[in-house]
Amino acid sequence: MALRADGTGGRGGSPAPELSVHGTGLAPVTIAGLTAGGCALLVFVSEHCPTSALALRRLGPLCQAWARAGLTAVAIFEDPLDLAIRTARRLGWTGQVAAQEAPYPASRDYGLATVPTAVLVGRDGVVAGTVSGWDRRALAALLRAAGEGLGADLAAPPEAEPLTKPGCSSKAAIDPELAAAMSASEGADELEEMFERGWTDGLPVVPPTMERVEAMLGGWDGDESLGLVPPAMGEATLARVAACAVLAGCRPDYFPVVAAAARAVLDPAFNLHGQAVTTQPAGQLVVVNGPVREAIGLNSGMGALGPGFRANLTIGRALRLLVCLTGGAMPGAMDRSTLGHMGKLSFCVAEDEEGSPWEPLHTERGFAAGQSVVTVIGSDAPLSISDHRSRTPEDLAYILAWAAASAWSTNWWPLAEPSVYVICPEHAQMFRDAGWTKQRLRQFMFEAVRRPARLLRRGETTPVVHMAGPDALIPKWASADAIVLLVAGGEAGRYSAVLGPCTGMGSQIVSREVESRGR
Amino acid sequence: MAADYVSPFDERVRAAEPLAPRPASVAGSRVVLLDIRKNRGAEFLDRVETLLTAAGAATTRVTKEIFSKPAALSLIDEIASGGGLVVEALAD
Repeated sequence: MALRADGTGGRGGSPAPELSVHGTGLAPVTIAGLTAGGCALLVFVSEHCPTSALALRRLGPLCQAWARAGLTAVAIFEDPLDLAIRTARRLGWTGQVAAQEAPYPASRDYGLATVPTAVLVGRDGVVAGTVSGWDRRALAALLRAAGEGLGADLAAPPEAEPLTKPGCSSKAAIDPELAAAMSASEGADELEEMFERGWTDGLPVVPPTMERVEAMLGGWDGDESLGLVPPAMGEATLARVAACAVLAGCRPDYFPVVAAAARAVLDPAFNLHGQAVTTQPAGQLVVVNGPVREAIGLNSGMGALGPGFRANLTIGRALRLLVCLTGGAMPGAMDRSTLGHMGKLSFCVAEDEEGSPWEPLHTERGFAAGQSVVTVIGSDAPLSISDHRSRTPEDLAYILAWAAASAWSTNWWPLAEPSVYVICPEHAQMFRDAGWTKQRLRQFMFEAVRRPARLLRRGETTPVVHMAGPDALIPKWASADAIVLLVAGGEAGRYSAVLGPCTGMGSQIVSREVESRGR
Repeated sequence: MAADYVSPFDERVRAAEPLAPRPASVAGSRVVLLDIRKNRGAEFLDRVETLLTAAGAATTRVTKEIFSKPAALSLIDEIASGGGLVVEALAD
């Protein structure tokens, strides 16, 4: 058997020293425990060492089959346990993971000079052989020896180049101060690094590695520009939009929706510039219609404006990260919003088209029902409207309409910009039963909310109020078209919501079709 | 490590524009007064215009389409050709 004993202090035939390591479970990692099912393969590695990475990649996929045959494989890192777990997962290691920290007692006890080093420990707790560095042939021999002891045929790593590769110095064999400095550097948390870079909205993010961004792009050209993102006018290349989607936690199949939302907010008619820097709360509401809702798992049902659904939360967050990071509109920097609102973290709702008595938003805006469309609207935070007692559509419409009386400001009448109503299914059902069209409801609400100008002349008000006669009736909205109606929410409960507008911006509603990947 | 990530930032460095030289006096100057349509901005500019005129400057008033959008390029050109000085009434 062509086993090498270099780097292990020539321990072949000696009892395997007990392991001073931390495992991932509650029970201590012991030689007896590892060899209880047969024998054990201890693979000493270090996160910084490319040869260790090679060994973990090549051996990792075999561990589960070995375990079924009685060989327990454990990767023993010379790194903190959290880093060890992440590294093992990243490299596809499917065996057990253990870790040791300075002064690396397990590596010292095994007399290591090099990582990786594989140590085979037999059923009797005796070291049966070792292989240092990457040596495919020697490892195959080691596994043959293990298989003979177990009466099984253990899979060897594939015969792929490189067949041999020198290892790296074990941290146990180098100056303790240098080893400690290396550990400190390697232990840096990549999530904390994202905060240090400023690539965050205040919550932890997913690091936008090249691999993740490529996967997010799904073959689209990362150099394609969607335009400049105000206020800093950073260029929204698709790669940067994809980086924001990765940071937000999107799955790649969400990306066409994120890209459509980005195209929509960058339309000058939306006036993202004004929304991004204003002292108003001004969030960017993303409404999604069409088949893509079901395809990617967007929630239009229970809790439609709240937490719980990755697609809604991460798509809205990706758009906001684009505004904050590529566009430079971080709160306290160029975003001067006095209070902001939670929708400025993420603000994405899917319409319950199937449960709605009316045509959905995107067909109102000229798209076909079968198209997937993103619509963006500058919006304030939702105000809930409880109504469990109305028994006629007129009463319910009155209650819904007057809830918006204080939208923007108590005496600011009329509003030119859109107020968005999210009508819950039970409320929608009442209008369905009564045969009310969307236009009828909108017109009723528009006509219902009016006040004499004299009652609106206190504090901040509008030139319209100032110029009107005292008894002139002023409507809350400049026209019925300023009332946007969506249907979403859980099937039980009579709570709708109104989202006040972003005003004074000349900001228009903008819709964009979601492009398919196959372009 | 940096090369492993795709930055969400546009990393291109934008060179800061140098400040234009400040005049020792406004007497004899042409001054453009820019009203961005913020509430009471015009009132502020009225006062400024009175003071500038008293100091011997000639003034021109221009107005942005809306305060919340960048000025149109044609307006910027008009301001640039209107004189060497500009006063903007920024916020209420």
